[in-house]
Amino acid sequence: MKKVLSTVLATALVATTLAGCGGSKPAETTAAPAASEAPAATEAPAGDASSDVTEIVWWAFPTFGVDTGYEQELVDAFNAAHSEYKVKVEYIDFTSGPDKLTAALTSGTAPDILFDAPGRIIEFGNAGYLVSLDDMLNELKPDLTSESLVETCVGADGTAYMYPISSSPFYMGLNKEALEKADALQYVNLEGDRTWTTENFVKMCEALRDAAPTQVPAIVYCGGQGGDQGTRALVNNLYSSSITDADGKWNIDANGVKALELLKSMYDSKALDAGFDMAAADELQKFQQETCAMTFCFGTSSEVTYASEDYTQIAVPFPSDDGVPSLEYLVNGFCVFDNKDEARAEGAKEFIKFICDDAEWGPKSVIKTNAFPVRKSFGNPYEGDEHMAMLASWSQYYGPYYNTKDGFAAMRPLWFNALQQVFNGTPAQDVADEFNTAANAG
Amino acid sequence: MLKKKSMTPYTILSAVILAALAVFFLFPLYWIVTGSVKEKSDIIIKSGEMVKWIPTRITWDNYQRLFKTGTELFGIQMPMAIRWLFNSVFISVVAMGLTCATSSLAGYVLAKKRFWGKGLIFGLFVCAMALPKQVILIPLMSEMSSLGLLKSVWGSMFAVIFPVVGWPFGVFLMKQFSENIPSSLLEAARIDGAGELRTFLEVAFPIIKPGFGALAIFTFINSWNEYPLQLVMLTQNEAKTISLGIASKLSEMSNDFGLIMAGAALAAVPIIIVFLCFQKYFTQGITMGAVKG
Amino acid sequence: MGNKKQKAPARSLVLQRRETMVSYLFLLPALFFFVGFVITPMAMGVITSFTDASFTNPEGTFVGLKNYTRLFQDKIFLKSAVNTVIIVVVSVPAVTAFSLWVGSAIYKMRSGIRSFYRCVFYLPVVTGSVAVTVVWKWMFDKYDGLLNYIVKALGGQPLPWTSSEQMALWCIILILFTTSIGQPIVLYVAALGNVDASLEEAAKVDGANDFQVFWKIKWPSIMPTTLYVAVITTINSFQCFALIQLLTSGGPNYSTSTVMYLLYDIAFKTTKEFGYADAMGVVLAIVIALFSALQFKVMNGGTTE
Repeated sequence: MKKVLSTVLATALVATTLAGCGGSKPAETTAAPAASEAPAATEAPAGDASSDVTEIVWWAFPTFGVDTGYEQELVDAFNAAHSEYKVKVEYIDFTSGPDKLTAALTSGTAPDILFDAPGRIIEFGNAGYLVSLDDMLNELKPDLTSESLVETCVGADGTAYMYPISSSPFYMGLNKEALEKADALQYVNLEGDRTWTTENFVKMCEALRDAAPTQVPAIVYCGGQGGDQGTRALVNNLYSSSITDADGKWNIDANGVKALELLKSMYDSKALDAGFDMAAADELQKFQQETCAMTFCFGTSSEVTYASEDYTQIAVPFPSDDGVPSLEYLVNGFCVFDNKDEARAEGAKEFIKFICDDAEWGPKSVIKTNAFPVRKSFGNPYEGDEHMAMLASWSQYYGPYYNTKDGFAAMRPLWFNALQQVFNGTPAQDVADEFNTAANAG
Repeated sequence: MLKKKSMTPYTILSAVILAALAVFFLFPLYWIVTGSVKEKSDIIIKSGEMVKWIPTRITWDNYQRLFKTGTELFGIQMPMAIRWLFNSVFISVVAMGLTCATSSLAGYVLAKKRFWGKGLIFGLFVCAMALPKQVILIPLMSEMSSLGLLKSVWGSMFAVIFPVVGWPFGVFLMKQFSENIPSSLLEAARIDGAGELRTFLEVAFPIIKPGFGALAIFTFINSWNEYPLQLVMLTQNEAKTISLGIASKLSEMSNDFGLIMAGAALAAVPIIIVFLCFQKYFTQGITMGAVKG
Repeated sequence: MGNKKQKAPARSLVLQRRETMVSYLFLLPALFFFVGFVITPMAMGVITSFTDASFTNPEGTFVGLKNYTRLFQDKIFLKSAVNTVIIVVVSVPAVTAFSLWVGSAIYKMRSGIRSFYRCVFYLPVVTGSVAVTVVWKWMFDKYDGLLNYIVKALGGQPLPWTSSEQMALWCIILILFTTSIGQPIVLYVAALGNVDASLEEAAKVDGANDFQVFWKIKWPSIMPTTLYVAVITTINSFQCFALIQLLTSGGPNYSTSTVMYLLYDIAFKTTKEFGYADAMGVVLAIVIALFSALQFKVMNGGTTE
């Protein structure tokens, strides 16, 4: 009903403008909407009789890196090969991009393609904004490196909404020289796949506190939801808990409470600090500047973004009581928005296939995301790179994927607020109880 | 009457406080401008190091990184950041022109004419000022989309301009100014047989001109800094404004402080220059309206 | 001021109709933009506030006053409302008093110095919240920030600033303060300059001291300015947004969350319940209107009007 109202008003406005009071407006006003009429018309079910080139809009988060120009290279290559489509890339960032998407989707001005991760994509899919990619995903299934990747791509009803391209784990980063100065490197396992224990993690933090090579040993950031998978992985590994229970409900269980209590006691003894006004990006910056000696939000792309020439960064999995970590991981993929236009949707699918599967561009795209291919057929694009080989081997520790579960978006602000409350002295059990109720309320 | 007071402890104290405050208020701008020409090692203070108040060496690297990506406008090659700057200027100038034209006409009749529905309309204008703009973002966006404005670069810029022009503050301000027009002058013009528009342009306008200047600068600054509206409407890279561009750089490259500072300087310095050039009219105008209110 | 108009006795109906027509012609352009791009979306927002519209269901169904009653059971909303009121109650008197002080300290200075100060205090307004907040974020940084650098240099204990529940809101108020006093100072300088000098002289001759001169002569004549300053500052403080978004995101533990911030957060980030967010907006608008009306009432009570 509101759509009708707004359309009527809009039409009335245009009519009035043309009727006369347009005189006060510069010439561009009338020119601009006129120029936009052709693409606008495609929105109507009537279709696009006027043009035979279908315009496709791609919104890209900087998953291929910032300002690399790679998106444009892809677009140019695709446009050259497919004259029937014209792809246009628009860049969005992780801070304002999500808000923009919300506004665009609800007001019917969505793009055609988004390059993102399951968290948002599945939310959009469940809300009915996406085109089903079942056909594409079914074709891809035999080639997937892991069966479990399928569940990262499908919505609540089993429809495929994301077409995955690459994947990589989230882990911790340590400052080697700082650890050496504090004689704490002994607690870290640098052999094999580097798994280690909660006990050694605590000892390392205490050694860092006592020797103080950096201002604080670590910062548990809890000022926002950016990179919050890092703090969840930290908490859930310490005593091998999980953020969801057997029934799939959001849950901080007894072990989770124990982990929160451990962090709180470490906070009280200054073995780590809490970043009440910081999100992952702030913490990574502090890690890069050697204000703290570790980060809880390392990953294959933040390794590049927050690299430092002044010291050595070591990647380690999260510590756990049994020495077997359960890692969170990132899956990069594409989705296609349902703009009620068959041709655009087809073109969009064509384009994402081109990015992900093309013999030349597919492997290139994977490398540009700094992550590992999800296609067996791509083999190992990082041949000879020992560090990447180790990170790839961590896929055996991937935990259950929960970013696509119902209520994920609503759970995230509850999570960082729960951490804040724990550090501020609310008993961990109370915080957990409140979290468990609130997160499952929706 | 200006300098009749001698130096009392109070005047000395207040002079000291004022000077200290001036430093405090100038600091952010100073830091932005110097930060934009600092080298990386100067910007980040590591624990135990001294703050570099003054750049040890001036470098233009930050600006070079800011200007890395290029675009084209009217057939001219230019860095994307300059295009953003152009967009900011374009949006602010057009919004300023439209606001001044519409508000001065409306403010004039609301102050000087008697007509049916006047109270209601003015009441509506005043009440709307209290409304948080965030509430209208989503409906506004559907509306702009129905108008077909969001599909093109220029269209989406007008989608930012129109709500700014519609914002009732200008009408409110111009009504205040127009109260200063002596009714006798208008009456005289009417008796002389001057048309309404001529009366407005030749009799009323000269009197409200300072207010006009104030409103112009005010709208310019406002639309330059109008953040949430730009955020949702301007999705295309070529349509972004400088403050939007800087905010996205802030998110993408939060650890490249030099780049951020260069961007912030590029966003702040032009508008400060505009302000300094026209501040005389601004203060003159704004005072007139409010003091007499 | 309106007296002159009343002098014209009952004019002919024709004349009046003509005036009405002309007035509406003059109003038309402004009304076009106002109705089209403010009132229309506003009406749509109000309608939405009575529905359960959300991201998953953008059309929504009518739910009556449910969103409004829910507000008063929402702990986070209530906390945000309290924060909002604190910001307004602190910053309005602070901004008014401080700008009045600066105004009276500089209005008698030489014009060059006077415009220098006026500009300096106006700078944060002009610089824009995005740029200003970037610098403040760094100043407030707990580890490597400028303020703690100074505190440490002076031998004190570093303070937590925006990362502490107790201090964060005050940090916000401080920045809001720096971006709010520019216009009031400009206004006061002018208003004080306009105060009738002969009255002041006469009072002095009668033996009044500086304080009495201020209170009896200057204060009443700058009352309209004070009222204007108070109302504008109230609206600005209620609507403080970008600052909070860029600096604290409403934290820690919602201690800097305001109604304005919360409604944006709900509409765009967390649960995306537009109906509920719009209900907050409507309530906020009503409260702002009431506050402003109250100020008019209280302050006008002191003047002759």
